[in-house]
Amino acid sequence: MLENLIEIRNLHKWFGDLHVLKGIDLEVHPSEVVGIIGASGSGKSTLLRCVNFLERFQEGTISVQGRKVRDNEKEINAMRSKLGMVFQHFNLFPHMTVLGNVIEGPTQVLGKKKKEAKATGRYFLEKVGMLDKQDTYPNMLSGGQKQRVAIARSLAMQPEVMLFDEPTSALDPELVGEVLRVIKKLAEEGMTLMIVTHEMGFAREVADKVYFMDEGLIVEQGSPAQLFENPQKERTQAFLSQIL
Amino acid sequence: MGYDFSAIFQYFPYFLPAAWMTIEITVLGILLGLLLGLITAFAKISSKKFLNLPALGYIYMIRGTPLLLQLLFIYYGMRGILGLSALPSAVLALGIHNGAYIAEIFRGAIISISPGQMEAARSLGMTYPRAMLRIILPQAFKRSVPPLGNQFIIALKDSSLASTITINELLLKSQQLASSNFMMMEMLTIAAFFYLIYTGLFTWLFNSIEAKLETN
Repeated sequence: MLENLIEIRNLHKWFGDLHVLKGIDLEVHPSEVVGIIGASGSGKSTLLRCVNFLERFQEGTISVQGRKVRDNEKEINAMRSKLGMVFQHFNLFPHMTVLGNVIEGPTQVLGKKKKEAKATGRYFLEKVGMLDKQDTYPNMLSGGQKQRVAIARSLAMQPEVMLFDEPTSALDPELVGEVLRVIKKLAEEGMTLMIVTHEMGFAREVADKVYFMDEGLIVEQGSPAQLFENPQKERTQAFLSQIL
Repeated sequence: MGYDFSAIFQYFPYFLPAAWMTIEITVLGILLGLLLGLITAFAKISSKKFLNLPALGYIYMIRGTPLLLQLLFIYYGMRGILGLSALPSAVLALGIHNGAYIAEIFRGAIISISPGQMEAARSLGMTYPRAMLRIILPQAFKRSVPPLGNQFIIALKDSSLASTITINELLLKSQQLASSNFMMMEMLTIAAFFYLIYTGLFTWLFNSIEAKLETN
């Protein structure tokens, strides 16, 4: 039995009166690729944002590497540096170059020397195919390039898990492929990934385990083969028939 | 009685100390205003009531009353309490007045930065102060440059109100001289000339700061 890298137990989240997560249980094992799918408003992004405490939840627990994360600054910051987060809208720092973005975390949070951080940073930029743009500012990049730099920025922290919050939703269709290829490469290298996505084909191809969410609940979970080809629940069937 | 151009050149040198006084109280007032503005902006953004409420009260009082009243209030008030003379009173009044407006400029610039920037910084594990310092403030500062330039020009012109508390700056100087030489228009022209020079310098300075930030 593998140890759980991330373990979510009975997670509840309200926005005011709106109950958006209604008791979520989920675990991510090392080197596992977990896909989370579902309609807009199903709570899947909120769930991912709860994992690194960008959203605060009211009930339930989140454990990282077997240790329950308590709601205080120090523990949250320590935990966050182990989880790489990639956003739908990239959120690159516009006042820094590509390389500046990538070394910001290692130098400011991990206390790495600039020279060392730059070497590591270039390694990860190379990995996402953006090394030639290291001195460029983000506003000169296409959406796909921005997202690849954002991935390198997260990787440079050498996290245990990478969290992807709809990483291709803000991209023009022709730019989706380059980002998905990078994510797929990470998966193949054995990186642990948690991906909220609308790209069903991608989830099916890359994920080891897929969760289908609807109205704040996990309705069904299983291997991509089970979930996509033989969904058991009516709501899953209805969702997939709309999408595919 | 006609307009005497030659008087302008003749009296010009008499204005130099006043021109210096104007720039002195303006610059000191602005520096104080920047400091107060930065502190107040953070206090107002804070979710903590004991920081938030004083900031709110300060801005409300300053924006809700005329600068002339504030100037007189501080001058007569401080003279009684601290024995403060006219010059520190003028600087204090201009600083406190501009601080409220500059606070709103900084606050506006800070909250205009996309929340995603703070989220990205925090999700790298940065603390809130570090994320502010490294990620939010450099971007916010850039956005606050144009309105700050505007505010500095307003402060320059507002400094003329200090004439009412015996500060011998450009406006008071022109009135004093005119009361003895009866050439009010000519004296006001000289004062206007200095204001326009200063405004031109401020505009140039801010344009070059903007241009420099743009290329970065």
